[in-house]
Amino acid sequence: MILSLEMKKLKRTGIFPAFLIGALLAGAFPIVNMLARAETFTSLPGEPLTILAEANWQMMSMINLLVLLCGACMMYHTEFADNGFQKMEMLPLSSAGLFFGKLVILLLLLALMLLTETASLAFCAGRWFPGSVFSLREYALSAGFWFIAALPTVILTLLIASAFPNMWISLGIGVILLFTVSVFPQDNPVLILFPFSTPYQILALARENGTAASLLTACAAEVLALSGAELLYQKIRRCFA
Amino acid sequence: MSFFTALGVEFQKIRRSKILLILLIPVVIMWIPSIVNARINFDTRNIPITPENNFFIQGFMGMVWFIIPASLVICTVLLTQTERSQRGILKMLSLPVSIVKLCLAKFLVLVILSLVQMLMAVFAYYISAAAASQLQHYDFVLKPDFVFPVVLRIYLAAIPMAAVFWMLAVLIQTPVFAAGAGLVSIVPTVLIINTKLWFLYPISYPFYLLMIEYGKVAQGVYETEIQWLPWIPAAIVITIAALAISCIRFGAAERR
Amino acid sequence: MNIIETKNLTKSYGDFTAVSHLNMHIRKGTVYGFLGPNGAGKSTTMKMFLGLTKPTDGSFSVDGKTYPSDRRAILQEVGSFIEAPAFYGNLTGEENLDIIRRILGLPKSAMNEALELVGLTQFRRRLAKKYSLGMKQRLGLASALIGRPPILILDEPTNGLDPVGIHEIRTLIRSLPQRYDCTVLVSSHLLSEVELMADDIGILNHGRLLFEGSIQSLRETARSMGFPTDNLENTFLAMIDEDNRRMGERR
Repeated sequence: MILSLEMKKLKRTGIFPAFLIGALLAGAFPIVNMLARAETFTSLPGEPLTILAEANWQMMSMINLLVLLCGACMMYHTEFADNGFQKMEMLPLSSAGLFFGKLVILLLLLALMLLTETASLAFCAGRWFPGSVFSLREYALSAGFWFIAALPTVILTLLIASAFPNMWISLGIGVILLFTVSVFPQDNPVLILFPFSTPYQILALARENGTAASLLTACAAEVLALSGAELLYQKIRRCFA
Repeated sequence: MSFFTALGVEFQKIRRSKILLILLIPVVIMWIPSIVNARINFDTRNIPITPENNFFIQGFMGMVWFIIPASLVICTVLLTQTERSQRGILKMLSLPVSIVKLCLAKFLVLVILSLVQMLMAVFAYYISAAAASQLQHYDFVLKPDFVFPVVLRIYLAAIPMAAVFWMLAVLIQTPVFAAGAGLVSIVPTVLIINTKLWFLYPISYPFYLLMIEYGKVAQGVYETEIQWLPWIPAAIVITIAALAISCIRFGAAERR
Repeated sequence: MNIIETKNLTKSYGDFTAVSHLNMHIRKGTVYGFLGPNGAGKSTTMKMFLGLTKPTDGSFSVDGKTYPSDRRAILQEVGSFIEAPAFYGNLTGEENLDIIRRILGLPKSAMNEALELVGLTQFRRRLAKKYSLGMKQRLGLASALIGRPPILILDEPTNGLDPVGIHEIRTLIRSLPQRYDCTVLVSSHLLSEVELMADDIGILNHGRLLFEGSIQSLRETARSMGFPTDNLENTFLAMIDEDNRRMGERR
């Protein structure tokens, strides 16, 4: 029930078109890149998926994160703006349920984005790397990896959005985090484990460097920790209000 | 009412918005790591560049690729939101002022705010270069007659981008999505400056100019000559078009 | 002499007609009470006068000037207050008025006078977003009155005020034509209120003008049509009710 309620609240906020546009933009990225300078990439050795991901994923992922960030801010903004949240609090509902309802919707939208983007990568591989073998399993694994790698970041942005009634603060913190982390050196084994950094990782490279397991473990731990933090925050929130 | 009064009124409207603080924070966040990591400027990874040039280029790289565009996006949204949140725009539209003048005055505020941030950036550069020099016992400070012209050129190149962001903020009513659209448009600049059609994408102009400077101080990294043609005509056309659209659409939603 | 006149003024949004073939006549130097239930089209009409929305059909003139060609000339003469007050929340009441004063090119004294007139002088340094509903309403009024414009368009100016405030503002509006030699168009959904302020009234329902004329002629019309006349509020309610019924029958 909470899920359909949350969906209803997002009507006419423009959140669904925004994700669609985001997905299409990110999906267009590798295609445009290949159209512009295919020979730079087709000459490289290795799997097409890895080559394409290395060339484009950083930016595609950044678009995903920005769209998710705006989505999370929008979701809580609709709650806070006209005191809808106050009404919700006066109803016999759990505010944690509210949070996880929103989270599930964001994750569904993320899954849709990843699906579009992976399909676009697969298209590029088929179009510009004619000799390569298409393995559905590899693409599915890669998309699944990206989904899990994005989880902690999604929870964190939603957590920030739920904490600040003023949307601009949540958006500002998100943008600053996104930017600061994106300039972190990507070869530092510890720094890449943080939210806002894990979504940039690529499965094939993580396997190569043997960091795949530690990445996934770190993500799982962060998911638990951040969810716990949100639950705790919902408990103590009234003390600040 | 003169344009000058209109400009003064627009500045009065953003009092207490903490906009200068909002512009300062990213500059500080940007330069602190470059002081802390000053040592990595000696590791030039086979690029023929001096550490002091490396320090300058790497620092301003973050500025041109993200901070200047992102700050402009934030400012545009702030400017439209001050009008829309308590419907001040409605009052403005029922006063005898030209809407075009109002819209252009706001754009000028945006451009001036951006100038302030550039000055902050130059100031922050000199402080952090001096600090890094102390820490690393190496002179990272570049001469002002090199730094100022480069920064000035980058600033001028940011004006077409400001016009485009201003248009986005006027056209997109939902503030989050106006900000989102602006921020998303920043992402592909890295890719676009490596294509032949970079001059059609105003958001990449400042980045392009910095890459030219990079090319000059580190041979082989990028081109060394600015492609004035067709850049300048394209930039002028894009700027005028963006401003024209903003002026036509400004306050249109409130005048249904 | 009529300072505002409309000819078949019409505004529709899609298939919804907010204002339909309106013919209003507002005499110079009077207070015109614009009466009607919520959603009757009062605000839409006033917004058209201010150029905030474009008429679908028909025309109007304000002091001999027409929209859209004379938009700025009209606005130069009109002080307005539309719906919920529009202001800048991050500025104080005084700063909000200062902006308007600078745009209109008025002296500083005009601002103090407007503040004094609506009784906001002691709160002038407070942020507008911290104002109570009544104070926001007063700020909106001050921004209409500043510079003594010859025409005032006020949309439900007493909304959200307490009884004392309502009385004050009513008295103020009543006194304006004599004090500043101006014409006032004021809307309300209470006849009892309009009765106390207005010389002429126009009654609007579903975008159509049911009646226009003085209070006296309203009484006479009502009597001849068989509506109750002992209490004007009842007269108004009966007229609206009758109109709604006729509209219903037509559908």
